[in-house]
Amino acid sequence: MNGFVQGDPLLCIGCRTCAIACVVAHEGKRIFEIDPDGYDFHPRLKIVKTWAVSVPVQCKHCENPACQAVCRSEAITRIDGKVLVDREKCIGCKSCVEACPFGAVNMAPLGFERNPDGSNRSVAHKCDLCHELDGGPACQRVCPTEALRLVEREDLERILFTKRQAVLVAASSPELSRPNFF
Amino acid sequence: MSNGVHEIEDAKLLFVFGYNGADSHPIVARRIVRAKRKGAQIICVDPRRIETARIADLHLQLKNGSNLALVNAIAHVIIEEGLTDDKFIAEHSHGFDEFKDLCQKYSPEAVSEITQIHPDDIRKAARMYATSGQSMILYGMGVCQFAQAVNVVKGLANLAIMTGNFGRWGVGIGPVRGQNNVQGACDMGALPNAYPGYQNVTVPEIQAKFEKAWGVPLSNKVGIPLTQVPHYVLHEPPEKKIRAYYVFGEDPAQSDPDLAEVRESLESLELVILQDIFMNRTGQYADVVLPSTGWNEHDGVYSCCDRGFQRIRKVIEPPADADVLTDWEIISRISTAMGYPMKYHNTEEIWNEVIALCPSFVGATYEKLEKYGNIQWPCRSTDMSDRGTSFLHKDGKFANPDGKAKFSSIDWQPPTELENSEYPLIFSTFREVGHYSARTMTGNCRLLRNLEDEPGWIWMHPDLCQELGVKHGELVKAISKRGFCLARCLPTDRVKKQAVYMSYQWWVGACNELTIAALDPISNTPEYKYCACRVEKIKNQLWAEKYVREEYAKIRQSMGIDNKKGGKAA
Amino acid sequence: MPIKEVQTTCAYCGAGCQILFTVDPDQNKILEARPAHGRTNEGTLCLKGHYGWDYINDPQILTKRLKKPLIRRGGKGASLEEASWDEAINYVATRLTDIKKQHGPDSIMCTGSARGPGNEANYIMQKFARAAIGTNNVDHCARI
Repeated sequence: MNGFVQGDPLLCIGCRTCAIACVVAHEGKRIFEIDPDGYDFHPRLKIVKTWAVSVPVQCKHCENPACQAVCRSEAITRIDGKVLVDREKCIGCKSCVEACPFGAVNMAPLGFERNPDGSNRSVAHKCDLCHELDGGPACQRVCPTEALRLVEREDLERILFTKRQAVLVAASSPELSRPNFF
Repeated sequence: MSNGVHEIEDAKLLFVFGYNGADSHPIVARRIVRAKRKGAQIICVDPRRIETARIADLHLQLKNGSNLALVNAIAHVIIEEGLTDDKFIAEHSHGFDEFKDLCQKYSPEAVSEITQIHPDDIRKAARMYATSGQSMILYGMGVCQFAQAVNVVKGLANLAIMTGNFGRWGVGIGPVRGQNNVQGACDMGALPNAYPGYQNVTVPEIQAKFEKAWGVPLSNKVGIPLTQVPHYVLHEPPEKKIRAYYVFGEDPAQSDPDLAEVRESLESLELVILQDIFMNRTGQYADVVLPSTGWNEHDGVYSCCDRGFQRIRKVIEPPADADVLTDWEIISRISTAMGYPMKYHNTEEIWNEVIALCPSFVGATYEKLEKYGNIQWPCRSTDMSDRGTSFLHKDGKFANPDGKAKFSSIDWQPPTELENSEYPLIFSTFREVGHYSARTMTGNCRLLRNLEDEPGWIWMHPDLCQELGVKHGELVKAISKRGFCLARCLPTDRVKKQAVYMSYQWWVGACNELTIAALDPISNTPEYKYCACRVEKIKNQLWAEKYVREEYAKIRQSMGIDNKKGGKAA
Repeated sequence: MPIKEVQTTCAYCGAGCQILFTVDPDQNKILEARPAHGRTNEGTLCLKGHYGWDYINDPQILTKRLKKPLIRRGGKGASLEEASWDEAINYVATRLTDIKKQHGPDSIMCTGSARGPGNEANYIMQKFARAAIGTNNVDHCARI
């Protein structure tokens, strides 16, 4: 089963530390050295705020990814339980952007630093669980309220177990037991 | 704060009034979120659907400016339903009878229209607060930035006193102080009425003590609060005028209300001295600019919001080509040149002088700060076992001469400038989480700037947007009697249609052009949270975008920035 | 010199979080900021604590670092010109003394600072206002 990062709206305070961590993790320390206007800022997760909910939305690394199904250039593959975009192969047709039911795929310029004539082409851009970067997903490491969690098979098992237990406890409570008829 | 930040997550009920932790203090918001996880109930009072409101058990989305009406109504319910802690009231307070009389007319039904809250919700809030057994009030600028502010704080304190929610772990009342060292600046007596340690300048024994310590006669006349400076520059007779202004580590030309008046006063002053790390808006009026060291370039102590002294340490040297000095060194040299010699070798020497003069701080030595990391004053003994005080008012002791808390009986007053036909909307301000204050520091941090940049957003209800025919991202013009600014429309149902909101960080979207300098008579804090405005659609968006870019470039150029590099309005 | 680590308190909001900076003393640069344990923050930081330190390298995004004392020698409306510390200190001292003589100590207003400078600097400023100038006209943005 693919792991994915999940946000808890009861813990999220919408501060967007995760968004910056995402960019810093992928682009590295050079971001603090180069011309501040010479790059584009594109986090791979988006914090969405509604009346009831504030939470980051990011790729769920689906088991049967819609994005992969529609990709024309075989740029989207599964490696190590992660759904990854080969940005060099991507032709920028945006089919995956349209196909993703979560709005988790965006378009961002290829290459971090901008070409002087502004001609960087845009390619598919989404959460890659910080693939090949030290320490695992950066977003969940920096979140000050621990609202982001990397959910893997063991975590899912634990969540299901807790839910099942809760259901049984509720079912065995006196109020819900059948009355005895004598 | 009467109690410590670390106690927040242990409260059984948090009454969050006009305080937006998620944007002002994410790390304090963390405690609120943890409190909820531990089973605490949360009541959130705010005209916006802030993050805390989202997770609250009860969100009272009151009408802006009705704070004291609501607070008194809650007190009314607590009294009416017999939920008071009579023992605590009898033993540790006075003035309750007068307060009871005042509350009689503040029934939930009577205030429902003013507050726009259903009477049942007011009753529910009162019951929750009074019966939890461990209720803590957290308040912020939503209380303080009104012309009726101090009285609302007293009103909130009334609630804590009448329910015995003082003097224990996880209760009390706390203004979660905004800036990193606003508590410290107060602790150190940068106040017109107090010496360091909150010792009043008008008390003869205190005056004598400081005269002896400093070796000169001192004035016992209370000084002028910051927010009255424009008035004293522009409107007072010659013998009372302020003529010189020595500003350090602040930017009044950005953060004070009614910027047009602030600019006028800065232009009229004979002498403006700016001591800071970066050029800022006030610097454009300065006659002399003194460059100082910034955070990470000097040692010292900060006081965090819950009275905790903590060390700051020098991390790096100032840039090699920077000819800068630390603030205290600059001021000491000026003082010496003026005939009052001041000479210190390091911050520890200064700190030892401070704590020797303040009974509440005496035990907070550098040695203890090194060892324990954090000392919450009062810390009255130099003994290493005295590690400071987490919460105040233990055993119901208060800082009044009779040791008792006092009930304050005050009527609600509406805000100063109400909506009218020309300006039919309420204009209010808020904080942006990714930037700090006037952006002297964060405006120069790349990643923080990437998240949010000029001219900022104006939060508007979708119905209002529809009426005006404006959409997300479009530049609109916000206007009040005093001035105008441009901002990007953010349609959101987290606000009510009657009010619009902006954050105060921006230069082009400078919302303080609109705000009113109506001051609370005691605290002298301006009424940032309420003035009348209108919002207009700008038909020519190309012109508007160009205007924003050009204004931004102009300001940056006046700051000495090369406009070909380093930033653009987004 | 070897890379060193220094712990300090964040200069943004009032939460008082502890930050551990990794510094290269030879290059005089901050390399990284990590959360450190503190009573209030318990090893966490927000976005400003994590990423709000690169202004110290003067990227000139919004404003420029002040590096030399400046005096508007030509009076109001003229430009600010670089000066030495001696000149700047004397200028301030002379002008303040004049204003104090002509109009009294209460015609001068000083501010404290609720931000970077710290407690000791605030103490010195209020001592200066009270003992050297002779006024209680000192205040800061607590009331803003």
